[in-house]
Amino acid sequence: MIPNDILIVGGGIVGQITAIKLANAGAKVTVVDAGINAGSTANAGSLHVQMQSRFMRIYPDQVPNIEASLPLYLRAVEEWERIDAKYGPVEMIRKGGLMLAEDQKQLSFLEKKAKREAKKGVSVEILDRHALEQIAPWLGPHIIGAELCLNEGKVNPLVANRRLRAVADGLGVQFLQDRIQNLTVGKRVEAIGQTDTYQADRAVIAAAWGTGALVGNFGVTIPSVGEPLHMNITEACSARIDHLVQHAERSITLKQFKSGQIVIGGGWSANDRGLSQVPTVDPLSLLGNVSLAAQLVPTIGNLRIIRTWAGMNTTMDGASVIGPLPASDRLVMAVPGDAGYTLGPLVARLAANCLLGKADHSVIERYSPARFAN
Amino acid sequence: MTTDRFNFAGKSIGFREGQSIAAALTEAGQRVLRQSAKGENRGMFCGMGVCQDCLITIDGLPNQRACMTPAAFGLEIEPQIAFPQLNQMPVPPTATPAQILEPDVAIIGGGAGGLSAAIAARKAGSSVLVMDERKVAGGQYYKQSASHPPLDAQQAEGATLLKHAQESGAEIMGSVEIWGAFDGPLFLADVGGAALVVRPKTAIIATGAYERPRMVPGWTLPGVMTTGAAQTLWRSYRTTPGKRVVVCGSGPLNVQVALELAQGGSQVVMVAETASAPWQHPWISLKAITADPGLVFKGIGMMRELKRQSIPLRHQTSLHTIEQVEDGLRATFKTASGSEFSETVDVICMNDGFEPQNEVLRLLGASMTYDGAMGHLRCDRDRRMETSISNLFAVGDCAGLGGAPAARDEGTIAGRAAAARAGFGSAQDSYPEDRSLARHRNFQNYLWKLHDVRPKLPDTSAPETIVCRCEEITLGEILDGLETSPGHAGSLKRATRVGMGRCQGRYCGPVATRLVAQITGKPIEDLSHFAPRAPIKPIAISSILAAQEALDDPE
Repeated sequence: MIPNDILIVGGGIVGQITAIKLANAGAKVTVVDAGINAGSTANAGSLHVQMQSRFMRIYPDQVPNIEASLPLYLRAVEEWERIDAKYGPVEMIRKGGLMLAEDQKQLSFLEKKAKREAKKGVSVEILDRHALEQIAPWLGPHIIGAELCLNEGKVNPLVANRRLRAVADGLGVQFLQDRIQNLTVGKRVEAIGQTDTYQADRAVIAAAWGTGALVGNFGVTIPSVGEPLHMNITEACSARIDHLVQHAERSITLKQFKSGQIVIGGGWSANDRGLSQVPTVDPLSLLGNVSLAAQLVPTIGNLRIIRTWAGMNTTMDGASVIGPLPASDRLVMAVPGDAGYTLGPLVARLAANCLLGKADHSVIERYSPARFAN
Repeated sequence: MTTDRFNFAGKSIGFREGQSIAAALTEAGQRVLRQSAKGENRGMFCGMGVCQDCLITIDGLPNQRACMTPAAFGLEIEPQIAFPQLNQMPVPPTATPAQILEPDVAIIGGGAGGLSAAIAARKAGSSVLVMDERKVAGGQYYKQSASHPPLDAQQAEGATLLKHAQESGAEIMGSVEIWGAFDGPLFLADVGGAALVVRPKTAIIATGAYERPRMVPGWTLPGVMTTGAAQTLWRSYRTTPGKRVVVCGSGPLNVQVALELAQGGSQVVMVAETASAPWQHPWISLKAITADPGLVFKGIGMMRELKRQSIPLRHQTSLHTIEQVEDGLRATFKTASGSEFSETVDVICMNDGFEPQNEVLRLLGASMTYDGAMGHLRCDRDRRMETSISNLFAVGDCAGLGGAPAARDEGTIAGRAAAARAGFGSAQDSYPEDRSLARHRNFQNYLWKLHDVRPKLPDTSAPETIVCRCEEITLGEILDGLETSPGHAGSLKRATRVGMGRCQGRYCGPVATRLVAQITGKPIEDLSHFAPRAPIKPIAISSILAAQEALDDPE
């Protein structure tokens, strides 16, 4: 049975695609989003699969969960292929991702990591300098090798967000701007916002780092934390950097959009200014992030940075939270673990399936919010 | 006399000492400087480093601004292609060590306000650093020339002010591109490829204004430029923009520049003024005369001079479209009665008012209030020109249009106050400047009422009009975007890419903000605009690397 009306809290990549799936199935869907400070609107479009060295370094305790989530990442990029084919094109390129090593120690770390990832079905190989030069001649001379993960890629989130919004609009999904501050569940779900109150049969919580606070009264403590992160973009050039570039030990992502612009990011921090204001740029992150990029790809030194911005990434315990709350199946969680934009479409589909009575139990079991029950 | 030469697209181009590359190329009749991503020709537009449309490749280095780069012997210059090859660029030189300066008072902008502030702050005994984007300070009103004696009283006044500032002992640095402003304050800048880090005790922002264009179909064609760009060509480089020129928009600058270009040898076919004639508003005109008889009579003198030279000044006449034709640009105008007529010219100069260059102030979080009559933000300041951020002062047009005479008074008041904050002298005694400032502001009030500088929206009957020059986004695309993402200028930006280009929304941003306000019915305020972000101007990655090394160094 399809619930006749559904409220989705959060209008990012997860909320939008969940709305499309449910509206397609005939539900009346309302999306409420605070309209500020979202992760999806500031995302830079990396499709991650291999374990990010940044995460392994900063959150070592989350590594087992991240490693166990690898199959989910593989399915997530396949889901992006479907989104691209059905609603795109969203400038999707899947030529793989390179994680660079500057010395033997870093390369050994990558070799071990690649073995673990291969066991989970990820397509990885270790490239030496010679092999690397064939596919990435623009790398600096001090890079001695890299791990290539063939599953990785990139999309243009501006294009994807716009297209998905148009699809949802076409299906009659209603988008409202408000910040939901409290939820109650009786015969119906009631969501109290800053300007209005909303009722629905069931609700999907796609509120990223805001999730923990929203459902704190329902017997779960979801450790969702927002990380304000910094990003930079250059003017256009013609060199084709096809790969998503990362580093074995240092925080960076670097890739080139179809526009020819190079996007540099990878987890440098920005200044958090709370829920109602967008995060601001930290000069040290700007300097450090761009300088690192210039060290790895020296020829970009002649390009100019034309814009920087900051957006929020969400971390929990390294794994996603998908499925109904133990306290009430009227509230369905749809929160990707670390790489939110990569996992977004898949998490949306899995959450929508829960509401449509065809939950993929075998997949979502390990991502249930029950693991955070008090 | 032409003595030196450089190459442009394989042609040898002569230039005179002190000319910018853009001026030398204009003189040689080279208007097309680059191709856009969509294959359109572009040339010099703003002439002051804002629009990023005069980009060229110099000795292999892409995306250099022709208007801000001095011509030099033997340069190999190519028109800028949209997608330069990374592997064909020279490897960036190892970064020269950055300079770190910690003056008592840092002043950004060396125009009327900045130079006046420098003199006052030095007089009080503080150390002063003035940074100007151009090679020669003076600002847009005084427009100094590196190699020529002053043309007239206005330029001579600027030369005297600059001389006094130099003699005051203030350090005046030219060719400084401030690209980062952070809490502290901390300023990051580029000086000819080297990094500059400035950590002052107090800062005075005096970054002036840039010109508001009239967005009509064809306004991005080479040969269309701001009135100020044409004025810089003549006043700073003794170069006329072209043989046949039409000047249009609203405000006294258009009349002044028309006369200057005529003096330089251009044939000015017409000045088109959107507003009705001042004699149709006798009461406001009378008020303006009372406020500043000298300036009003100067204006009347300019009108007489136009008449004497048979340059028609047509009121209530607005630029409607621009087309490229075989022998130049055909500009079509509309009159108040709705009739149309065209002029074929080499150059179209446009000025529809001004936008404050308030990026540094907004980045540092200084609070702003929207001025609906002028259509721009005004920086909130106290009587000593201090903003809502302690030790941050704002003077002149960057804080809201006020004109050069007001900027001078504000500069003097702020210079004294900033020095006092840094521990030198007292900020109290500014009575003469306060009085004179009140008089200038009063005059400005009436002056702008006599012109038509209300914020305008492009004509929706021409949806093909480009609004965002950099990303080549049309009015039609923006109107479509408004239907799906009406909430905020920022969401419109993400939906349409309006404002995402190199000039960072300086021209399209105000229009996007107004369109959003129109459709949502929400009043315009500071937060209605695109969020301010570093870099303030595009900045070479090699310069960022140099700044990083300087700040990383424990020394």
